[in-house]
Amino acid sequence: MDKYKLYKLIRTLDGLKEERHPMFEKNRFMKLLAWFMIAYYGAILLLLGAVLPLGMSGEYYGVAAFHVFDGAFLWVLFCDFWVRFVLQETPAQQVRPFRLLPVSKKFLMHTYLCRSGFSPGNMFWGLMLVPFGMLAVRPLLGWGGLVLWLLIWWLMFVANGFTYLFTRAMCMKNILWFLVPAAIHGGLIAIMTLPDRNPLDMPCTRWMYEAALGNPLPFLIVAGLIALWYWANYRLQIGMLNDEVANVEEVKVKASSQMSWLNRWGAMGEYMKMEIKLRTRNKQVRMQFLVGLGCMLLLSGIQYFTDIYDTWFMTSFICLYDYIVLGMMTLIVIMCYEGNYIDCLMSRRESIYELLRAKYYFNSALLIVPILIILPLMISGKVSVWMNLGYLMLTAGVLYPLIFQMAVYNRSTLPLNQKLMGKQGNTTQQIVSLCVLFLPIGLERLCTIVAGEVWGYVILMVFGLIGILTHKIWLRNIYKRMMVRKYINMEGFHCK
Amino acid sequence: MDIKIYNLKKTFGPKVAVDIEEFCINSGEILGLVGNNGAGKSTLFRLILDLVKADTGKVLSGGIDVSTTEDWKDWTGAYVDDSFLIDYLTPDEYFQFIGKISGRTEDEVNEHLSSFDHFMAGEVRGQDKLIRNLSAGNKQKVGIIGAMLLKPQVLILDEPFNFLDPSSQSAMKRLLVDYNKTTGATIMVSSHNLQHTVDISSRIALLENGVIIRDIDNSERQAATELENYFDVQ
Repeated sequence: MDKYKLYKLIRTLDGLKEERHPMFEKNRFMKLLAWFMIAYYGAILLLLGAVLPLGMSGEYYGVAAFHVFDGAFLWVLFCDFWVRFVLQETPAQQVRPFRLLPVSKKFLMHTYLCRSGFSPGNMFWGLMLVPFGMLAVRPLLGWGGLVLWLLIWWLMFVANGFTYLFTRAMCMKNILWFLVPAAIHGGLIAIMTLPDRNPLDMPCTRWMYEAALGNPLPFLIVAGLIALWYWANYRLQIGMLNDEVANVEEVKVKASSQMSWLNRWGAMGEYMKMEIKLRTRNKQVRMQFLVGLGCMLLLSGIQYFTDIYDTWFMTSFICLYDYIVLGMMTLIVIMCYEGNYIDCLMSRRESIYELLRAKYYFNSALLIVPILIILPLMISGKVSVWMNLGYLMLTAGVLYPLIFQMAVYNRSTLPLNQKLMGKQGNTTQQIVSLCVLFLPIGLERLCTIVAGEVWGYVILMVFGLIGILTHKIWLRNIYKRMMVRKYINMEGFHCK
Repeated sequence: MDIKIYNLKKTFGPKVAVDIEEFCINSGEILGLVGNNGAGKSTLFRLILDLVKADTGKVLSGGIDVSTTEDWKDWTGAYVDDSFLIDYLTPDEYFQFIGKISGRTEDEVNEHLSSFDHFMAGEVRGQDKLIRNLSAGNKQKVGIIGAMLLKPQVLILDEPFNFLDPSSQSAMKRLLVDYNKTTGATIMVSSHNLQHTVDISSRIALLENGVIIRDIDNSERQAATELENYFDVQ
């Protein structure tokens, strides 16, 4: 097959992959929502592009608006970089379905690298830059200056895209690789936010100005960077693909993984062991846990060391978030990982009920992690003991029962050991996540306004206690409803 | 335990996967299920195991409708495909898991496992390898042993000879026949290997397009010729 035909075939198959995904119908609402959000952010960028030149020209007398804007271009690039983690797949992930077919892997990799690097997403910022350039650059530098100014921006986004792809691929090998860009960006932000003046302001402005004036040096440097990143990405991602085909990755099983201390709980202990092994031996689940833990530490750290989150809403949100996030990340997709071995569970009496109980006990025991993380906040007085206890009980007794309801409705199998970047949950999962993250704050506010600071949290604790004490009843209820829907759910689980 | 099927029908769109008016697998029988690809063998097993919903009809296992209670799961062991395996456990962990959630102690599980030593040929246990990293043949062995571990009175195996080397296939046949003799269990085995099916089965059902078109007595190993003629084996 010639390369043009192969390229067309890849495009067709990519379209079919999305259309024929088992969740396609179910995710229609989410797609609409996603398009709405894109339109919403697009409108914001357009507005910013139109308003910023006016604001900046009024704010910094004697300095052209685009000089002010260009001085801060690193902020835009940082933002662009981190947003890509949510939206962009790596070529190695995209090439995976073709890896055992008799087609050139090199051609496939080049195709996907070019499509990733030069995707239309890189032009999204143009919604802000084009109106901004029209109002701020063109009057001073003319059409030629505007085109060159936009071109250097676009090239920088492309280079940023390839930087992301490299980082993302390294993160698939070891999640800690995300610390490298985090440290570099953090360091630059620290320099840029020095109290006296931003030492990077002038070099950034100069860089962009030279580009807009037609100096070839900035273009050559960025083009060189793109070439370098392209080459590095190609080598890395093709290597990862070959490793995957050769199946060289094996989880080392340690003798300590027997976890004999759980044997005293008999069958329940076995299910608990399985919960632990689910998290430690499967990349996808492990990464979820680490990301959740990282977010907890970041938010709590910011709250502990700064005062920017010292509002009632953020204090309440961070305390709640710390308690719920680890449980929510895996429980919102409850049974989706088990879909991989659902027949093993379904062919044994009540094993799903026992599994649900084990999940509840495990996630309740896991609440020790947020307790430890919140402890310094409590000691420093930023989070009250009552709030802490209120959310602890509310999580175990009210929020977990709410999220566990997903066991009745979840019916798609998630791969245990593959990365799932870019895949969003279905509508129900999204709604439950939002409810779990925000409804308790409203409830807390209501209770504390009505009953006062202490008694308000006591009310939350009572709600939680009722849920904890009745856990066997509501878990049994979930199990029964699951069994009523078992055929529908199993049909979904089997469509891996 | 006998298994009785009444008016069982399952369709996937226009395709009839299973359509059996009445069929009984008697207690203590080894029933071999043969048929071409897409004949409905795996779907029939899934219906018997209550893993898919029948359009009409019912399956009784030991007199109990499998879709109404879970009691029959106590005496049933099955291995149909990978979805019966928890692939992030080692084989030993998987066996202990199955044993312990059914109330067996570690020692009891180890004792049961010792009867599979010849079949495992030293390649399955003590490997410290996750099931997902095992070869296809060894995965198959883990699934089969997992199904037989608790000495079920009803054993259902879908194409158990697949992926096994010749020695293991031979060991598998002996294992099933001995198991049937010692426990009196009802065994259902599907296979594309006619010779193996004839060697182990007391009765053979020929399934095509979801319908049992022949029910052949094989108590004297007399089904071979009929099957070879049907499948046009030279």
